[in-house]
This record gives sequence, C-alpha cells and structure tokens, in this order.
Amino acid sequence: MSKYIIRRLVQIIPTMLGVFTVLFILAYLMPGDPVRSVLGEEYKRMKPEVVEGVRDQLGLNDPFIVRYAKFLGRMVRLDLGESFILKQSVWDIIGYRLPRTIQLMAGGMFVALLIGLPAGILAAEKQYSWVDHGLMLLSLVGVSMPVFWLGLLAQLLLTQEKYGIALFPVAGYEEGSVIHMILPSLVLGTALSAEIARVTRSSMLEVNSKDYITTARSKGLPYRVVLLRHQLRNALIPIITIVALDIGYLLGGSLVTETIFNWPGLGRAIVPAIQRQDTPVILGILIFGAFMFVIINLLTDLIYALVNPRIRFA
Amino acid sequence: MTAAEQLLLPVALNTQRVNNRSRFWMAFRRNRVAVFGLVLIVLLGLMALFAPIIAPFNPIEQHIIDRLKAPNAQYLLGTDELGRDLFSRLLYGARISLVIGFVAQGVSMLIGISLGLVSGWYGGWIDDVIMRMTDIFFAIPGLMFLIVWVTIFEPGPLSIFLALGLIGWPGLARVMRGQVLTIKELEYVTSAQALGASTPHILVRHILPNAIAPMIVLAALGVAGAILSEATLSFLGLGIQVPNPSWGTMVQFGKNYLPTGQWWLAVIPGLVIMLTVLGFNFLGDGLRDALDPNAYSK
Repeated sequence: MSKYIIRRLVQIIPTMLGVFTVLFILAYLMPGDPVRSVLGEEYKRMKPEVVEGVRDQLGLNDPFIVRYAKFLGRMVRLDLGESFILKQSVWDIIGYRLPRTIQLMAGGMFVALLIGLPAGILAAEKQYSWVDHGLMLLSLVGVSMPVFWLGLLAQLLLTQEKYGIALFPVAGYEEGSVIHMILPSLVLGTALSAEIARVTRSSMLEVNSKDYITTARSKGLPYRVVLLRHQLRNALIPIITIVALDIGYLLGGSLVTETIFNWPGLGRAIVPAIQRQDTPVILGILIFGAFMFVIINLLTDLIYALVNPRIRFA
Repeated sequence: MTAAEQLLLPVALNTQRVNNRSRFWMAFRRNRVAVFGLVLIVLLGLMALFAPIIAPFNPIEQHIIDRLKAPNAQYLLGTDELGRDLFSRLLYGARISLVIGFVAQGVSMLIGISLGLVSGWYGGWIDDVIMRMTDIFFAIPGLMFLIVWVTIFEPGPLSIFLALGLIGWPGLARVMRGQVLTIKELEYVTSAQALGASTPHILVRHILPNAIAPMIVLAALGVAGAILSEATLSFLGLGIQVPNPSWGTMVQFGKNYLPTGQWWLAVIPGLVIMLTVLGFNFLGDGLRDALDPNAYSK
C-alpha cells in the first residue's frame, strides 16, 4: 500500500509542473501592461525611467526563461505572490474567499447527492418502468440546463412576488445564514444530481446481477438490508469517481453561481482580476483550482486502493 | 471453394455489413428519445441554415416604437430594448451556437483521436507523456481557462474553437487509447502487420474504424458541452463579439430586464440553449444504447 501511495504522490509532480508551465505561458501572453495595473492612476504622471524601474523591480524585463525559472522557484516555495491592485498576498485573498466557495460547493454537492442518489436507486429498482424512463429523461433535462439560466429562473420565480413567491433572498451572502445558501446550492447542484442519478442507476444495476446479491436475498435478508448494505455499498465506487471528477465542474459552476447570486467566493474574484489584469491573482486561483482537483483525485484513488486490493497490487 | 462460391463471397460479406448497420438503425429507431433528439437537431440546423428566409425581420433592425414588446402576433417572441425582433435574433444566433459546437468538438476529436491512437499503439514513454498531458489538461479548471484564454487571444471564433478543443480532448484521448489497446491485440491487426501493411495504414484503416463507436457517442455529448461552455462564456460577457449576438449574450443582456418584468428577453434564449443541448444529449444517449452490443440482448 505504501508503495502505491508513493507512486501516486510522485505522479503529481509532473502533472503540477505541466499545469504551472501551461498557466505560466498563458500569463506571459496576457495582453496589456502589468505596470499600468500596479501603478494605477499614477501611471500617467510617472516618468518613463520610473516606470522602467518598477518594471525591473517586478522582473518584467527578464527574458522568458529567467521569469519562468523564478516563477517555478516561487511555486516550489508555495509563494503565490501579491495582487497588483489590492496589494494583498494572493494567499490572503484565497484564504478569505475559499471557505465561501467550499461552502457553496459543499451545498451543491449535498443537493446533488440528496436528489441524485435516491433517484438513481429508484430508477434501478424499477428498471424499464415508466418511473425509470421518466427519471432518466428528467436527468437529461437536468444536465442540459445552463447553470446561469437556472439561476435566473430561480431568482425570477422564487425570490419575488411578481411571477412567483418570495421564498428566498434574491442574492448575497451572510455569515452562517442557511436561507442564503439554499438557492445557490440548488442551482449549482441540479446538473450534478442528474449525473449522479444516472451513474447510481447503472452502477446499482451492474451490482444487482452479482452472485452475492442473489446469495444475500436467498438467505432471506430483509429487502432493505440487501439494497442498502449489499447493493448500494458495492455500487459506490463509480459514484465516488463521478463526484471526484466533478470537482472541476463544481469550480466552474460556482464561478457562474457566485456571479448570479453575488456570492463572495473565488469565482467572483477571478472575473474582476481578469478585467484589471491582476495576473498574480488570476494565476494563483487557477493554480489553486488545479491543485485542488489533483489532490482530490489522488485521495479518491487512495480510497479505491484501500477498498479494492486488485488496484493496490496492479 | 468453387468459383461460384468465390463469386458469392463478397456479396455475403456485404449483407453482413448491411445487417450490422440495419441492426444499429433498428436499435436507434426504437429509442424514441434519441430520434426526438435527432429531429430537434435537424430542425435547428435547418432553421439556422434558412434563417434569412424564415426570419420575419432583420435581426439588427431596430423598431424603437415597438421596444420591449411582450410576445405577440407581430413579434412572435417579443422585442428587446431596441425593438429588435427576438425570434429573428434567435434564428441567427443558432448559426453561431451550432457552428461553435460542431467545430469546437471537431477540434477536440482531431486532437483526442490522434493522440489516443498514437498513445495506445506505441505505448512506452510516448504513452506516458501523452497520458501526463491528459492529466494536466484535466486538472486545469475549464471555465477559468476559457476566460483567461479569451482575454489573451480576443474572443473571436478561431480562438474559441481552439480553447474549447484544448479543454475537450483529454477524455476523448483516454477512451481512444483504451480502444486501441484492446484492438491492437486482435488477429486481423496481426495479420495486417504480417502482410506488411504500414503503421499509418493499420491505424487509419484497421484500428480507427473499429474504435469509432464510443467516439461517436462522445462526439454528440461533446457538442452539447461545447455549446453550453460557449453560452456560459457569452453570459459572462466574454463571448464572440458580433452584431448578431449568440444566445448566451442575449441572456446576459436580457437579465437586466428581469426586475422590470420583461422576462422573455432572458428566459426564451436560455430555453433555446437548453433545448439544443438537450437534443444533442438525447442523441448521444440513444447512440450509446444503439451502439452497445450488449444492449441487443436485453
């Protein structure tokens, strides 16, 4: 097992190196003048020599390869730099906003599992019935809905009296407020719940034909015990895979959801950062997002290896 | 084998092929949802193609007196803040969305299929390098990558095709690689090699055609994904800047009129996006069932 863990850990290095390289090239190609962003309004009044001085100070006059090496050096030291505009370390910005994004992602995932798991189990139980067909049709509708559109519809119908009922606040974030979380979580989780329902269904059907299920049934175990303890538990691996792979989707989806519901998370930070060419913030958030994805996938792989010895020794 | 039998042989092979194909069509047709998806897509395609004939108005023509009109007999789906006919604008918007969906997915397929073929066929360090590349592109958050990309390369059609292609290829490459790994062990590949066929010939004529079925399914689903991504980008105000806006841009502008009661400006373009994406998802889902050899027995 420890050998497997080490092998997977070592595999992260080239992946993250690749991520750093791709993102560095993107940042290098960003148009506009970062010095302008750094100096803001003062830029126009500055003498060209002073501007050049700032440029030197930021290392913007170094050749590509030197900048790349410096960048990698900072990454190794986990130094994400400082925002050009906010004069604040990128880690502080992430530290403030990340909990809010995670809160939203967790809410979305909760909704997705709350709807998706029972729907998938029900569809598998009633395979080829109208319940099954109906649920699967509905799930395709769910994955086809643009997140932004669903968000606007929810705001139109559930936050005001004009066309619907005023059940929830239109937007905004309040520390510890559950009611502010409900709509954004629903909007973010809907598409995911559809996907989870589909995977749950096919995974449950797959397990259903296994001998140990027949054995469990013929032993006379209660229906619910077989369903939950034997069938669902063994069907969980593909479901966990989907949940882990969807971290990337959740991150993107939370960007849109945060924009619509004015939610102060990471996604809401990246759009203005791009408009103001605040390169360190853009890079920092992207790198952090990629890192999160890699780590979560590593954890899922380790969980598999724990559950299934065939993976461990392959 | 007699001469007569030899003459019959190709015919027999042919009917076998037709049988496979007709079996596919039978399975596909039985899936009413998939057929509905296909019909939806063909209808949309025709509407996009014949937009100049179908559209009752010029999509950028302004009728200031009739601004912000609710759907009515004259303006089927209402008008926007400048009195432009929403229905006509949606028809022209279909051109942008469909072209982007198809071309972007084409780019993904081109990259994914070629790298998957090479990776699975050669194995070794080439395989390792390509698989690490898929890891890298999987890890980078897609939507954020797209946003950064369009600020660098301007949100023109070409840059969006490329960006969506770059985001979409890793999954395709992995599936393709898996297919190649199985197929390259089969006897007909070995015999082709023994007959002295060149590697490109084997890859293109023997492996690709037999590996294509799951690719077709992924292609249909991928077009849906590409259309959604482009719509999201446009909604964030970073989409293609043209006089005839794409559907996502229309929702972006329309949302400003939700509080004042002109709901159709945001709701209808969003509904059209959903129906289009739904069409491709229906089709992909149906194709998966029809192409799955195990599905016949059930």
